[in-house]
Amino acid sequence: MVLLLFNAFNGLIQGAFYALMALGLALILGLNATINFAHGAFMALAAYFAFTIFPYTGFWGALIIAPLLAAGVGFVVETTMVRRLYTRKDPIYTLLLTFGLALILQDMIRTIWGAQGQPLAIPAMLNHPLSNTYFFVTGYRLFVVGVALVSTGALFAVLRFSRIGIRIRAGNSDLETIAALGVNIYLLRTINFMIGILFAGVAGILAAGQLGLNPNMGDSLIMPAFVAIVVGGVGSLLGSLLGGLIIGLASGIVTTFAPAASEVVIYVIMGVMLVVRPRGLLGQEGLFE
Amino acid sequence: MSTPSSLSRTDAAATTTNPKFNRRVIGNLLLGLVLIAVPFWLPLVGGYTDLASRVLIYALAAMGLNLLLGFTGGLSFGHAAYFGLGAYGVGLMLKYETHNIFIALLAGTVLGGAAAALLGPIAARRRGIYFSMITIAIGQMFYFIAVRWNSFTGGYDGLTGFSRHPVHLPGLTLPMGSLDFYYMVLICFGLGAWGLWTILNSPLGHTFVAIRENHKRLTFLGIRTQRYIAISFAISGTIAALAGGLDAMYGNFTSPNVLEYTLSGNFLIIAVLGGMRNFWGPLVGAVIFILVRDYVSSITHNWMTVIGLIFVVSVLFFPLGILGSIKDWRALISPRIREQDAP
Amino acid sequence: MSLLELQSVGRRFGALQALSNISLNVDQGELRAIIGPNGAGKTTLFNLISGFFPPTEGAIIFDGSPITAVNPAALVRRGIIRTFQITEIFLSLTVAENLRAAVETAMGLNLRPWVSRATRARIEARVAELMDIVQLTAKADRIAGELSHGDQRVVEIGIALSRAPKLLLLDEPTAGMGDEETHLMTALIRRLNKDQGITILFVEHDMAIVFGIADRITVLDNGSMLAEGNAAEIAANPRVQSAYLGNAA
Repeated sequence: MVLLLFNAFNGLIQGAFYALMALGLALILGLNATINFAHGAFMALAAYFAFTIFPYTGFWGALIIAPLLAAGVGFVVETTMVRRLYTRKDPIYTLLLTFGLALILQDMIRTIWGAQGQPLAIPAMLNHPLSNTYFFVTGYRLFVVGVALVSTGALFAVLRFSRIGIRIRAGNSDLETIAALGVNIYLLRTINFMIGILFAGVAGILAAGQLGLNPNMGDSLIMPAFVAIVVGGVGSLLGSLLGGLIIGLASGIVTTFAPAASEVVIYVIMGVMLVVRPRGLLGQEGLFE
Repeated sequence: MSTPSSLSRTDAAATTTNPKFNRRVIGNLLLGLVLIAVPFWLPLVGGYTDLASRVLIYALAAMGLNLLLGFTGGLSFGHAAYFGLGAYGVGLMLKYETHNIFIALLAGTVLGGAAAALLGPIAARRRGIYFSMITIAIGQMFYFIAVRWNSFTGGYDGLTGFSRHPVHLPGLTLPMGSLDFYYMVLICFGLGAWGLWTILNSPLGHTFVAIRENHKRLTFLGIRTQRYIAISFAISGTIAALAGGLDAMYGNFTSPNVLEYTLSGNFLIIAVLGGMRNFWGPLVGAVIFILVRDYVSSITHNWMTVIGLIFVVSVLFFPLGILGSIKDWRALISPRIREQDAP
Repeated sequence: MSLLELQSVGRRFGALQALSNISLNVDQGELRAIIGPNGAGKTTLFNLISGFFPPTEGAIIFDGSPITAVNPAALVRRGIIRTFQITEIFLSLTVAENLRAAVETAMGLNLRPWVSRATRARIEARVAELMDIVQLTAKADRIAGELSHGDQRVVEIGIALSRAPKLLLLDEPTAGMGDEETHLMTALIRRLNKDQGITILFVEHDMAIVFGIADRITVLDNGSMLAEGNAAEIAANPRVQSAYLGNAA
């Protein structure tokens, strides 16, 4: 029983990472119409930024500043490259562009910081198990869940109440109309892209605190994040969030019974979802098709 | 308006299309001669035969992918799965079942093709970006199966312990060294290319292209487009599996890398780099991609950056690919040349 | 003899009654225009006839049998073909390739990965015949996307003809065309009707065209039928005049 709880809790943590990644991807998929293959590389980049500024800012400062630095790189990428492809209707171009960028970013990380994994120190106050029976419930893991909740809550609040958030949502459903209303959609897309990267950055630092840094750390998260979007439903941020949590939890639970199947199970869930309910949990019919 | 006998007009149509057709046939024959002669001229320019085998294997996979991508308009980011299934199929057959490389190759091709035929219809339920994401995820499933099913597939370390056995023909034994293997790859490449060429010149191929152009229009003519996308997917996956099977024989080794999405991305960039609307585009793309990778990885550790730059530069500056851009320049000079090349 | 018959057809979308109590007969070989102000329900009527959605009231009879709940693909096979307000063709293919894809579909060959020489000749003959009918033979090898808007619409009509329609529905065939293109299009519509014997139902805004070529005219306003008759009758109808004057922008 403890083992099941242990794995379920692990799965939930994993799901929180998937959800953070999926949210960022879903944002960019929505308004930027881009499958951002470089999302995992941005995530790793933010973690390495945190690693570098850590001695000066401490963990908490790094948690705030490093994602912003990664978003700054995202700004450069969006304005100099991704933006040029919006007029091409075929999604292949942005997909291959971000795929190439992922290779370049990973290679740069490897060159600058080395291919070896590194630890990222986390504050001592977060590093204690909270009980002896449930040894796996460490302060840091609760912290991960907490940060995921807070940042997701903040995102939904921004989308709901701020002017820019309302425009992003409107742009998701009808970009032409809001452009006609005089909204600068280029700027809007840039900001949206950067918000997406911010989420990757937060996920990267949290993951580094738990598993350490390594140039390929994004690889194991980006595919499940895609699956989370498909399961949750393309076009729905809430769906992506739920999708991430569900596949994380499912993968955790399956680990208890069949460790070898823990990764495959999320693809099975996706397959079942596609057959039973092709638009996903909360997806809109016919979006991006 | 009266309609004169259609027969005379058919003849007229035939004579207007014939020169173009002949030029294509001559071009293909020339290409065939160049490829047959590779072992003789490649060493003169500093290459080696295995490199040519690798180029043709990747070109074949990318041409298979391109049936779906360039000619049906379906962006699959998961074709490594079918390539990889072909590779594992061949590896496992040679390791456990048979020493006959042709039977093994057939088995690997059928395995990958069957997977594509089963999974294509699921992906074909959706279009656009959604289609791509589903193909990515389906592809990753096979990656994890190969990684986790240690006892059968060798896990992360890959599958070893098989080799291309010599081929015994009546009165002749082929040792299947680099040279023999190159010709085997070339024959497979030729068969695959011939099959694709035939399909693209048939009503089935015309239907694929029409779906790419305007699936709505075709739906209103009474065509269930999903079904044809699934067919294109299956054919395309089968060709990729054939290439994957050859890839396993190439190094007498296969590993989960051949199932990974990175390889799917490589096939895509090969097609796009060469020109995805052109029949021979993937061959041109494969020549450049493999040669650059081979060369760059021998001179710098940062070869991934160079490969990444190939993606970025070709996407930003050569969206039509090399053959497409050449056509474009020629079209500027002589407006009668078609921008695209549905053969 | 009537080819198409609508019996008290209506269509409701939620609270909105888009069409109500439409009864009309289109005779075999007739060239019928549907006119009416914007929002009168013309395109809704087309969508009902071509099976995009079923009517909520009434029945539609085509060629002697009811088609009220038949799907668009089946209607295409029965001979009801339509074009759209936005031209739907294969833009980066040549004119000949556009028509070839359509002809092969009409012949039911789509699944064939190869064809015999004889079949190929039959296909090419039919393509040539269609190009001849719509007078695009000279532009056979031109890329459809590079043609003028008018020629693209003609290509679309060629595609529609590939299925040998009994009833051709044209949704604003001359929309967005210049004078010369409009003239060629009206000439084509007339030829299709008179020479090929195709029954045609078309929606049109240009009154000069409607009065010039239509055998009969049906006027819709606010989702119901306002009048029906030949050009002279419609022109003289006071209700039509007031509807048009009332909506004149």
